[in-house]
Amino acid sequence: MPIINFEFAIQEIPAVLKGVPITLAIAVVAMVFGLIFGLLIALCRIYRVPILNRLFIIYISFIRGTPLLVQLYVFFYGVPVLLDKMNQSFGTAYNADHISPLLYAFIAFTINVSAYQAEIMRASLNAVQIGQMEAAHSVGMTTFQALKRIVLPQAFLVALPNLGNTFIGLIKATSLAFAVKVVEVMALAKIIANDGYHFLEMYLVAALIYWLICWLLEVLFTFVEEKMRNKEIKQKKMNTTISKDLPLRV
Amino acid sequence: MSVMNDWFSLFIQVLDKLPITLFMLLISLVCSLVLGVAIAIVRIKRFTVLYQIATFYLSFCRSTPLLVQLFLVYFGLPQLLLAFQIDINSLDRMIFVLISLSLHNAAYLSEVVRSAYLAVGEDQFEAAYSVGMTYTQALWRVVLPQAFVLSLPNLGNNIIELLKDTSLAFTIGIIDIMGQVRIILGNNHGIGMFEIYVVISLIYWGTCILIEMVISTLEKVLKKGKVSLSKS
Repeated sequence: MPIINFEFAIQEIPAVLKGVPITLAIAVVAMVFGLIFGLLIALCRIYRVPILNRLFIIYISFIRGTPLLVQLYVFFYGVPVLLDKMNQSFGTAYNADHISPLLYAFIAFTINVSAYQAEIMRASLNAVQIGQMEAAHSVGMTTFQALKRIVLPQAFLVALPNLGNTFIGLIKATSLAFAVKVVEVMALAKIIANDGYHFLEMYLVAALIYWLICWLLEVLFTFVEEKMRNKEIKQKKMNTTISKDLPLRV
Repeated sequence: MSVMNDWFSLFIQVLDKLPITLFMLLISLVCSLVLGVAIAIVRIKRFTVLYQIATFYLSFCRSTPLLVQLFLVYFGLPQLLLAFQIDINSLDRMIFVLISLSLHNAAYLSEVVRSAYLAVGEDQFEAAYSVGMTYTQALWRVVLPQAFVLSLPNLGNNIIELLKDTSLAFTIGIIDIMGQVRIILGNNHGIGMFEIYVVISLIYWGTCILIEMVISTLEKVLKKGKVSLSKS
């Protein structure tokens, strides 16, 4: 018997690849919503919104202090309990069995990744100098306008490498989605492997798929980062030429 | 009252297996630290062939989920070695977990070590050479102690990540705190899943907070020494 049955592995690659869209869907949805919630949480923490600040500190500590797998289980088994309580007290009739596993995965991963994004966004917002905000105020912008037009674009640039890392981490984390009964790359590989004891082959295939996805993402992020940086350098050059032309320069 | 008792007994039952989780954490931390320092030095010194291998290994470890690596080691390694007439199927499962956790974490730790090593600076080496130390001596006596202090915040994060990673060990049948939860659930016929996962998340949270506190105390103590040294 050969050590690795390559024929079998190659033959089963398409079957495992069927899980890629689900893996990517979970990662993208969690990333996008995580970015939105993370930004809001970061702003709450930076401006020290009274109760929310405390609450989010605890939330972030909890998410970063417990394994994702445990969070998935807590969420997966907690929602039915919560719905039961809700049905009893409000007389509604929601049935937890009708919620698709994918929705569980979307929400649970978003809850998890929001905490990490919040810390990234907080660090990046803090990295933008306070003078930028003051300058924006001095030309009559409101805080919201200043955030949107001046501070956030700069903070986003600072955050980009970390966000890339988070996204790659998220791709790897989706391999835990079996906890909420989602069948993605890892689960498919496991099912096929269990069928004929082709463990080595199938897990190698899964590893290669994850590796390829992560590598492609890395290339993409490097490209985007370079683009953004070049754009910034160009803008800076433009600004200096403009300011040189201005007659009233102090 | 009985509700309180239920929660309390759950806590005790799960805490009973905490030593196993901590054991996995400690052993794999030490192994991965040794391996991580070795990889970091290979990458910094750019030993031609080893450098390529190390880079390849890092890329693999950091681009595939730990779960895949764990399964590859647990299911794949025996299958691979069996072809060379080596039978390791009878080995304890714990060894497979320790191997995969160490290999996985070494990749991350090597980057932590590498950045700390580079942060110490080449001049420290030059100073050590100028008083006649060899490379190994300079490394052990001068650079690594400084690099250790610099890397403490990252190291702390890494230890916490590692603790969370140990929660995957139950997938191959280790009875750590996650495995214990599984057993309790089996005995309860799946009743009270939510409560028990809340309990275990609190235990993980508490352990993480403890680790964080230890690291930040260590940081303060070691930094204090550094300040007084430079002032004297």
